[in-house]
Amino acid sequence: MQKNESKYLLSIENIEAGYGKVKVLHDISIKVKPGDIVTMVGANGVGKSTTLKSILNLVQLQKGSITFKNENISQLPPYEIVSRGIGYSPEGREVFGNLSVYENLRIGAYTIARNKFDERLETVYNLFPRLAERSKQESSSLSGGEQQMLAIGRALMQDPALLLLDEPSLGLAPIIAENIFEKLEEINASTGTTILLVEQNVNLALQLSNYAYVMEKGKIALEGNADKLMNDDYVKNTYLGIA
Amino acid sequence: MNISYIIQQILNALSLGSMLALLAVGYTMIYGVLGLINFAHGEVFMIGAFTAMFALKLGLPLWLVIIAAMLASVLAGILLERFAYRPVRGSGDITLFITSLAASIGIRSLFITFLGSKSHSFPVPEYLQGIRFMGDILITDLKLFIFGFTILLTVILTILLKKTNLGIAMRGVSYNKDTAEAMGINSNSVIVATFIIGSALAALAGVAWGLQYSNVRPNMGYLPGISGFIAAVLGGIGNITGAAISGFILGVGQVLFVGFLPSSFSGYRPLFVWILLFIILFIKPSGLFKANIKWE
Repeated sequence: MQKNESKYLLSIENIEAGYGKVKVLHDISIKVKPGDIVTMVGANGVGKSTTLKSILNLVQLQKGSITFKNENISQLPPYEIVSRGIGYSPEGREVFGNLSVYENLRIGAYTIARNKFDERLETVYNLFPRLAERSKQESSSLSGGEQQMLAIGRALMQDPALLLLDEPSLGLAPIIAENIFEKLEEINASTGTTILLVEQNVNLALQLSNYAYVMEKGKIALEGNADKLMNDDYVKNTYLGIA
Repeated sequence: MNISYIIQQILNALSLGSMLALLAVGYTMIYGVLGLINFAHGEVFMIGAFTAMFALKLGLPLWLVIIAAMLASVLAGILLERFAYRPVRGSGDITLFITSLAASIGIRSLFITFLGSKSHSFPVPEYLQGIRFMGDILITDLKLFIFGFTILLTVILTILLKKTNLGIAMRGVSYNKDTAEAMGINSNSVIVATFIIGSALAALAGVAWGLQYSNVRPNMGYLPGISGFIAAVLGGIGNITGAAISGFILGVGQVLFVGFLPSSFSGYRPLFVWILLFIILFIKPSGLFKANIKWE
C-alpha cells in the first residue's frame, strides 16, 4: 500500500497486541491527520484502551508498527514517546492522588523546558478555571469531573501535537460530560491540537469528531467520516439506540 | 532522679536518634518508589562507616572522609538496585523482600570473610572531642554536630521532595509508576536517584555511628537497620518527616528506656523498639503519621 508519509501525524499499521498470551488487538490500522479529531468507539472490552496504550508502548506490540511525525516509535520506552509530543489522559483519570492539582500539572510538564511552564500553566488554568481555584488541593479530594479536567489539563501541559483521551466521559454526569466535550472542541479549535479519542458515549463522540473507527472484538468493524457514520443504519441500530 | 538527669539522657540520645532518623528516611524513600523494604540498607550504612574508618586512618580531612563514605555507599546502593532488585522487579513483593534479605546477609558475610567479625577502632578527630557544660549538663560537640547536621538534611530533603521536579516525580512514581511513565517520567532514573539519596544518608549515619561509638564491625548494620526500618513504619511509610521524627522518638526512647531501669537491664535497649512497634501497630496500624503512598 502506497501512502504519503507526511500526510498523517500518527499512523498505526496492522498492529497486534495483548496481555501475555491473550491477544486483544487483531490487525488494527488507524490513521490520524494533523488537526483532526478522530474517535474510536465500541463496546466495553473490544480493545479501544489497549490500542491507545500500545501507542505509548504501555502494551507490547506483537506485530505491526506505529509512526508518529514520520518516526517509528514502536520500540521507544513510554517516557520517550511522550516527550515526542503526545499527551495522554488515561482511562479512570489516574491523577496522582497524593499530589496537589498544581503538582500534577508539574508532572504533566516534566518533558518541557522550565521557561515554558508558566505560560502553559496559565493556558490550562484559563481552560479549566476550576483547576486554578483548587491548585493547592490534594487531587484525591477532587470530584470526578474535576479529576477529569485535571487529567486532560495534565496531558495538555506539554502542549502536545497529539492528545490521547481514554473515556473522558466515564462515570460523569451527562451535563459534566458535555461540558468536558465542549472543552475538547475548544482545545482543538483554538490551538489545532490533534485529538485521538476513545469513547463509549458514541453519540457525543461522533458529534465531536471528523473521523471515526468502530471497533468490535479487537478489530476495526467500520470506519468513515463521523457524520456519515452517524447516519449509518448499522451504527444507529447498534450504538445509538435509534431504530 | 532529677530533671537534669533526664535532660542529660535525652541529649545523649539525640545522636542515636539522628542516626536512626537518617536511616529511616532512606528506608522510607526506597519503599516509596519501589514498594521494597530494603534490608540491605543496614549494610549500605556499614559500608559507609568502614570507608570512613579507612579514610580516617589514611589521615584524610573529615570533609573528604564524609565524601568518600558517601561515594562508597552510593556505589553500593546503585549496584544493589541495578543487579539485585531491578532483575526481580515485577515478580512480586515477596521475591523483592527475600532478595533484599539475601543481599543483606551476603554483603555482611563478605565483609566478615575479608575483615573478620571483630570490631575495628574508629579514630575520632581531636576537634570533634570537645565538650561543654550547661550547669551540670554535659554536651559534646560531636553530638551537637550530628544533631544539627541531621536536622539540616531533613529540611533540605523535605524541600527537595516538595518543590523540585525530581521530588515531585519521586512522589508520582511512588503513587503509580506506570502512570508516571505515561506522563514522560523515566521511572528507572527516578528509582536510581532515590537509591543515591537514601544510600548517601545511610553513609552519613555510618560516619556518625563511627564517630560516636569509636568502632565499626561488619554486623554493625543489623540492629540500627532494623530500628531505622521500624522508625520508617512508625512514621507512616513513604513519609519523610514522619520517618525522621520517628527516628528521634526511637533513639531517645531506647536510651530513656534503659536510663530508668536498673543498670543490669542496659543490654535490653533494643527491646524498647519492639515494644514500641507492637504498641503503635496495635493502636494505629497505619503508622503515627500520614502515609504518603497508595497501599495496594
